[in-house]
Amino acid sequence: MEVGRLPISASHRAKLISAGYTTLSSLSSLSPSYLARELNITDSEALEILKVASLNSRLDRTDGGQAIVNGAQTAWDMLHEEQLLPRITTSCADLDNILGGGINCKEVTEIGGVPGIGKTQLGIQLAVNVQIPVDLGGMGGKAVYIDTEGSFMVERALQIAEASVLDMSEYNDLLHKENRACQMKLKPNDILESIYYFRICSYTEQMAVINYLDKFISEHKDVKLVIIDSVTFHFRQDFEDLALRTRLLGGMALKLMNLAKTYNLAVVIFNQVTTKYMDGSFQLALALGDSWSHSCTNRVILYWNGDERYAYIDKSPSLRSASAPFSVTTKGIRNSASNYKRIRMM
Amino acid sequence: MAGVSPENLLRRPLTAQKCSLGCPLLDRCLGGGVPCNSVTELVAESGSGKTQLCLQLSLSAQLPPSRGGLSASSLFLHSEFPFPLRRLEQLCLAFCGLHSIGEFNPLDNVFVRAAHSADQLLDEMPQIESFLSEPKSRFPVRVIVIDSIAALFRSEFDNTPFDLKRRSSLFFKISGKLKSLAKRFDLAVVVTNQVVDFMGENGGMNGLRIGNLKYLYSSGRRVCPALGLAWANCVNSRLFLSRNEEVVAEENSSVNVGNGDTLRRQTRRRLYVLFAPHLPESSTEFVIRREGVFGVDR
Repeated sequence: MEVGRLPISASHRAKLISAGYTTLSSLSSLSPSYLARELNITDSEALEILKVASLNSRLDRTDGGQAIVNGAQTAWDMLHEEQLLPRITTSCADLDNILGGGINCKEVTEIGGVPGIGKTQLGIQLAVNVQIPVDLGGMGGKAVYIDTEGSFMVERALQIAEASVLDMSEYNDLLHKENRACQMKLKPNDILESIYYFRICSYTEQMAVINYLDKFISEHKDVKLVIIDSVTFHFRQDFEDLALRTRLLGGMALKLMNLAKTYNLAVVIFNQVTTKYMDGSFQLALALGDSWSHSCTNRVILYWNGDERYAYIDKSPSLRSASAPFSVTTKGIRNSASNYKRIRMM
Repeated sequence: MAGVSPENLLRRPLTAQKCSLGCPLLDRCLGGGVPCNSVTELVAESGSGKTQLCLQLSLSAQLPPSRGGLSASSLFLHSEFPFPLRRLEQLCLAFCGLHSIGEFNPLDNVFVRAAHSADQLLDEMPQIESFLSEPKSRFPVRVIVIDSIAALFRSEFDNTPFDLKRRSSLFFKISGKLKSLAKRFDLAVVVTNQVVDFMGENGGMNGLRIGNLKYLYSSGRRVCPALGLAWANCVNSRLFLSRNEEVVAEENSSVNVGNGDTLRRQTRRRLYVLFAPHLPESSTEFVIRREGVFGVDR
């Protein structure tokens, strides 16, 4: 056991091992604050442990042992880590199911659909759900909401937050049946206060905010979700220089991808649909063209199927193509009313 | 630098300010009226009451907030001619009879301007902006009506890929400008749009379902909002007004002219919420009278 050899205090060593950190490589990509929370120790103690560990792993390398580049991970570790990552629930069990549990952190998810299908509703729901406390199975994080279209309505966010608080306290009561003292501390107003809202009126502002996000999030480490509703709007105005548009969009996608990886957060981007002339007829496609479609890790398309709203996984490296119904209710996104419909795997 | 610091949502009013349409039943259907800092679209065929609703809105905007208004004047950009001045006067008379508004003439607070084409409208945006920042009347301008957006685009564009592309980029420019004005001056922006007949499944994407209703029917025909999918992305909320002729039995009281002895023809009108970020699917029936547009409880 590599950790056993580290020159650190016995209590820290015991905490490390009981938390599952037995190898030096498992410590290599952790941030001090994350480790501090994991082990319930102070930040400076965690920093000390990480320093000692990285020094030791460097010594290992000079010995010619199993050297690892600082920050690199084996696929096995990554798999392990991915399974531990919490996901942001959509409040619709069917939708969560096809998403593999919800919206993934460290990934950029693009969601597209026609006007009125519920993109903004889903955005607000996610901004609320990312705040579900850790002891209720959530992430206890905060959200950044970048509104380019002006469709975010505070009254609607409040409505969804109120419904969510009700659901949470119900669940909380179930969890702590014997312990009446455990009260929900989260209030709808707190939820609204934890949504950092940016209203954007031009594409230059949009680029500026996305450049600023890195600084902002490094100061607000509790942000676990960034929503852009929608990425498209200001980029569909007259762009004479289409190459410029492609470059700007590409740069933006790269920045968002980096944010997701660096700060371990989820990025959700909304996109509009447009008609595309293909094979002699008009078909629906997400806007911004082909080069953009490579920019996101996952792609989900929302569409009408009869009188029901459906979501379809269009692209994902890890999820299989599937579709599931969902509905938009007063309380927010929920399971579709017709429960007899099963999820269709394709 | 402005724009790159987040807003605290609690520092805004928890419900967006709304401007009354001038009828409590219609307002109830819209959660209080037309929201500020937002673009609302009214879609309907001609003769459904779009313009009437807009005129009525520009009057009720002058009411104080305690009575559902914004204490504001409005800018009415019309692209359909002539401007219905007579009807506005008529509505104004009824409005003055209904509300004691004090010592001013409501007509003084409705600014009317013609708009002939989309390019012209875009060119005039800076003028409109400076007009908004220096109010000419006792009230600030808080309502902009464009009646109708479809007429601006009606003639100039061919059905070629190049023209369609130019058209849709104009949509996004105009809407982007309107939204940024709406944000800066906290405006309620209302645009009206026409409908086109649904030409069957080979009519391109016109049959695509957008919003709460699967099909839109008006005057017994299936219709689709004009300007297509691209424009639908440019508005925050979309409302649909339908009208359908109905033959009813005599004893049913009706506002319309009778036709024959025992049967009457009646126009039944409904207002539907097609999509809106803050509203559930809902609809309400309404009538158009001499005194204005009013919802009916049925």
